[in-house]
Amino acid sequence: MLPQELRYTPQHEWVRDGGTVRVGITDFAQDALGDVVFVTLPEVGAQVQAGEPCGEVESTKSVSDVYSPVTGTVTARNEALEATPELINSDPYGDGWMFEVEAADAGQLDGLLDADAYAAQTGAS
Amino acid sequence: MLASGPMADAAAAPRRPALHDRHVALGAKLAPFGGWEMPLQYAGVVREHTAVRERVGAFDVSHLGTVLVRGASAASYVNSTLTNDLGRIAPGMAQYTLCCTEDGGVVDDLIVYLRAEDDLLLVPNASNVAEVARRLAEGAPSGVRVEDVSGSYAVLAVQGPRSDATLEAVSLPAGHPYMSFVDTARDGVPVTVCRTGYTGERGYELVLPAADAGAVWDALLAAGAEPCGLGARDTLRLEMGYPLHGQDLSLEISPVQARSSWAVGWAKPVFWGREALLAERAAGPRRVLQGIESLDRGIPRRGMAVSSPDGGQVGEVTSGTFSPTRQVGIGLALLDPAVEVGAELTLDVRGRVSRVRVVRPPFVESSVR
Repeated sequence: MLPQELRYTPQHEWVRDGGTVRVGITDFAQDALGDVVFVTLPEVGAQVQAGEPCGEVESTKSVSDVYSPVTGTVTARNEALEATPELINSDPYGDGWMFEVEAADAGQLDGLLDADAYAAQTGAS
Repeated sequence: MLASGPMADAAAAPRRPALHDRHVALGAKLAPFGGWEMPLQYAGVVREHTAVRERVGAFDVSHLGTVLVRGASAASYVNSTLTNDLGRIAPGMAQYTLCCTEDGGVVDDLIVYLRAEDDLLLVPNASNVAEVARRLAEGAPSGVRVEDVSGSYAVLAVQGPRSDATLEAVSLPAGHPYMSFVDTARDGVPVTVCRTGYTGERGYELVLPAADAGAVWDALLAAGAEPCGLGARDTLRLEMGYPLHGQDLSLEISPVQARSSWAVGWAKPVFWGREALLAERAAGPRRVLQGIESLDRGIPRRGMAVSSPDGGQVGEVTSGTFSPTRQVGIGLALLDPAVEVGAELTLDVRGRVSRVRVVRPPFVESSVR
């Protein structure tokens, strides 16, 4: 049940293009991580590089890097995750979003996966 | 003599418990564990953890080994090999004990059920059952038979404040003293019901023929027990500070270092590892297993370096997790014996410095009794 309007990365993140670029992790990723207990996000104003780690998401069992899918400037981050990180489990494509980036080059989005390509990667339908 | 036994082979396809199809039907996420494919979680680790602390959960822990030691001098033989003193318990009681090497390393930690002087059931960890059975068989005097029957039995843990009511609802005995067991029958199926567990809650572990486990499992869930996986089992045991073999106890980590000396019968004239352990106890261990509790958002993870505030390394994390009950990072760490409880130390969390305090486990008050 992948949202068709989103783009995806091989690191199991989703990207919503709406002027700025909103980023989160996919349902596949949250399911694999298990219960999320802490999220570390880049500061607003931080410069992030496509494909580089810029945060962490930690579950009861493990920790994973959060990557920026595009190069640019962080314009917002989901402060609700500080107190309620479980939003990533319960609503990964909605209230569990992580941060927003103003992309330096909007063309970078074209290099990301569409829903079908991501589904093929995860073996989902 | 080792009469028979399925030898675990890590390279082979994982073994599946008798309840495998039920786990799949319940939506379990499965994971390899000690040569078995076992449920890691169903609804989620935190929810299952909370079910056990507040209500009641059911775990399939059939990956645990089952070894029968029988024959006229079975109890005295086991008492001359494993560390704890069987003289402290009467038939009908179970005991936590250790199987050590002669140099004091821990082959495994296990539970011994003393049925009678000539009839014992041992429950080692999945990864170590073959080695424990091999060592016991090798040294067994004539007349003592060591039989690895792992896989023939299912082991189900029912844990939580409502565990007594749950057992009563499925027509199994409950309410007997901590660490005691009752051999009973349910619909003609022999079931051993022991007041033991690995969660810190009041609870029971059931040992029964694997072929009959489905009906009992179904009845437990129908009586309100929530299915719980090995993920919650790990967070629950760590909140108690219970060591996990392979991480907090091992061939390299002795019971003196792991503060498991309470499970050693020091007055016994003979048991495996006695000389080495006595010497280590007299000299003082070179490192000690302590609890650590995060003072910020860092979560201790196995292998992380622990340092004093001036920067010198004083130890290493052996187990760590986020405590769902306390909502902080907790862990066990092998530390320099000079480090005192209450000391503030730092943790290297992937290159960031995180603060922890040394504490005496449990991290959450135990309710086993």
